[in-house]
Amino acid sequence: MNFDDTPEEAAYRAQVRSYIESHRDQLISSGDSARREGDLTKARQSQRVMYEGGYVGITWPKEHGGQGGSPMQQAIVDQELGRAGVPGHVGLIGIGMCGPTVIGHGSEDQKQRYLKRLLSCEDIWCQLFSEPASGSDLAALRTKAVREGDSWRINGQKVWTTLAQYADYGILLTRTDPTLAKHKGLTMFVVDMKAPGVTVRPLRQMSGSAEFNEVFFDDVIIPDSERLGEVNDGWRVGLTTLMSERLTLGGGGGEMGISTSAATAYLSQQIKDLPEDRQALLRQDFGRVWTQLLATRYTGYRQLSAISKGALPGPEASAGKLAGTAASRKLADLGVRASGHQALWFDGPFQASQAGLPGLSIAGGTDEILRNVIGERVLGLPAEPRADKGLSFEESVKL
Amino acid sequence: MNFDLSDEQRALGSAARDFFSKAASPADSRNALEDGSPTAPGLKSVVDTGFHAILQEGGSVLDLAVVATEAGRVLAAPSFAGFGRVSVLAPGEDLAAGVAVVDGGPALDAATATVFYALQDGALVRGTGSAVQGEHIDPTRGLATVTLDSTSPVEGADRWTKALQVGQVLLAAEGLGTAERAVELGVQYAKDRKAFGRAIGSYQAVKHALVNAFVGVEQLRSLVWWAAWAADEAPAELPLAAAAAKGLAATVLEQATETLIQVHGGIGFTWEHDAHLFWRRAKVDRLLLGDDVEAYDTVARLALA
Repeated sequence: MNFDDTPEEAAYRAQVRSYIESHRDQLISSGDSARREGDLTKARQSQRVMYEGGYVGITWPKEHGGQGGSPMQQAIVDQELGRAGVPGHVGLIGIGMCGPTVIGHGSEDQKQRYLKRLLSCEDIWCQLFSEPASGSDLAALRTKAVREGDSWRINGQKVWTTLAQYADYGILLTRTDPTLAKHKGLTMFVVDMKAPGVTVRPLRQMSGSAEFNEVFFDDVIIPDSERLGEVNDGWRVGLTTLMSERLTLGGGGGEMGISTSAATAYLSQQIKDLPEDRQALLRQDFGRVWTQLLATRYTGYRQLSAISKGALPGPEASAGKLAGTAASRKLADLGVRASGHQALWFDGPFQASQAGLPGLSIAGGTDEILRNVIGERVLGLPAEPRADKGLSFEESVKL
Repeated sequence: MNFDLSDEQRALGSAARDFFSKAASPADSRNALEDGSPTAPGLKSVVDTGFHAILQEGGSVLDLAVVATEAGRVLAAPSFAGFGRVSVLAPGEDLAAGVAVVDGGPALDAATATVFYALQDGALVRGTGSAVQGEHIDPTRGLATVTLDSTSPVEGADRWTKALQVGQVLLAAEGLGTAERAVELGVQYAKDRKAFGRAIGSYQAVKHALVNAFVGVEQLRSLVWWAAWAADEAPAELPLAAAAAKGLAATVLEQATETLIQVHGGIGFTWEHDAHLFWRRAKVDRLLLGDDVEAYDTVARLALA
């Protein structure tokens, strides 16, 4: 047991670190105000600079502009960017989810046209899966695609679409045959987000910021050449996307929605001014939260060790997300509570984190869905019976 | 990065599981509660395996933790926390004699010990004493209140703190095994037991309770491994790691054993069922070698320093 890099990993890490250091002024920083205000110029440049160094799309095949590297190399780059205070790339959804889906199911022509521009951040991509009536139950989606000769007519609505307001393209999951079972009648497309009939409306979150959107499709025409995979095989295509998501987010040890070092530094200052009984209570709460965060970090290291040996992240990765999310939410709350009278105002140091963190229990699989995944795929408990089993989509919506 | 057990450690764990699964079971804990039967496997049987002396023979705290986890699965006695703590405190001591360290309150495995260590006015002392047992919550911990009668100073006071921390890590490793087994038993019952025409484990209320306990076990495993590794390789990290492992072991074991009872419903609440024997272990262990409140306070003091 050790926490050291192998010689190859150490050499790669040194190379990455040196590249980041020598290009630091061209890379974006966490909390960059321009990005918050919707100016993505610097964020795009940041990704492009890393791409030019060969550090974007590391696990992608070389022929598509990637590096043919390992998930461990990807984890090292992520760690080094984190260490330098550089947030995730603005094109993360494209790099981690849309791109791999195009690689897996796209035509040669699509791969040629899209993939390199995606990595270099000439184009931003979004993922158009969730709908108002299909969240956790993704296969219940209703957005309709109807064939008209060599193209498809799309009508419907997507929601929670991160970065849609800036996106050039999206991967769009639609229903093409409502007479089949709900998983069977789906088809995936690449959609041009600037096409006539696409309307993007930002959704303001409870924290006040607007990172995701509603997207409306009104008689949008998509050429059949933009289809990904076979007609009515969209569920399988979508699984590629979701598996890639797990790989992108795997690696562990990262921070979740709050800077733990900033929170700790803040609490060690604030605790000094509290009466002794309050100090003891704060230490008791904080000790429990910090212990969970330490455990989450080391659980992430176990996952990273498996990745280092060539394993792919499995459903057990969800355990770290569940525990880490719960602890991060408590940490943010402790930060707010420790701010005295400032805790009554929104402009305190951890209020925004506190208001943003409930989203982590919902995005990327709700806590409840993750518990189902662990319960069924790791512990082997039986699934809940489904009322729509054996029904066509048409029949299931009448339940 | 290779934060994982080695092949040798996995083989050691597997050998330990073979031994403990035959040499002890929760039924021994129940018998000890009912009529004072000796706990199992008992000092002599464990000494015959050599597992107790892993540290003295040049093995690592992590090796010992791997064995302790297996011991915890069957509520084995005596505790590897004692073996590890004494091995660090008094490396040349003969563990086969039955050695307990006295901290003040009822001491772990003191009921059958013949040699006692204690810290008196900053000096380490070794000697004999008389041990008085109360009515046990968990008889497998061999708790007794000790009055030392004949002691003499020995060197080693400077090892007191590290020995206690190593003891906490091994207690947490046993707690990991106990919690892991409690979740397994709960999951198995939830697959077998039917209500309203289907297995109760298919209901999310039951499934999620078991998953929460399972997540706790995996979180605890990470801290136990880290803390044991720190004891061997990174002494500066041990105080934080040992406190975190000790605290989380208390929390996770209580959660896992209470879930075990709840998932079983009425049967889990009976004397005949094993669930309460796991639960008894949780209720006692949380208070041994410093309680969970103290452990979490230590984590906070170190992290906020």
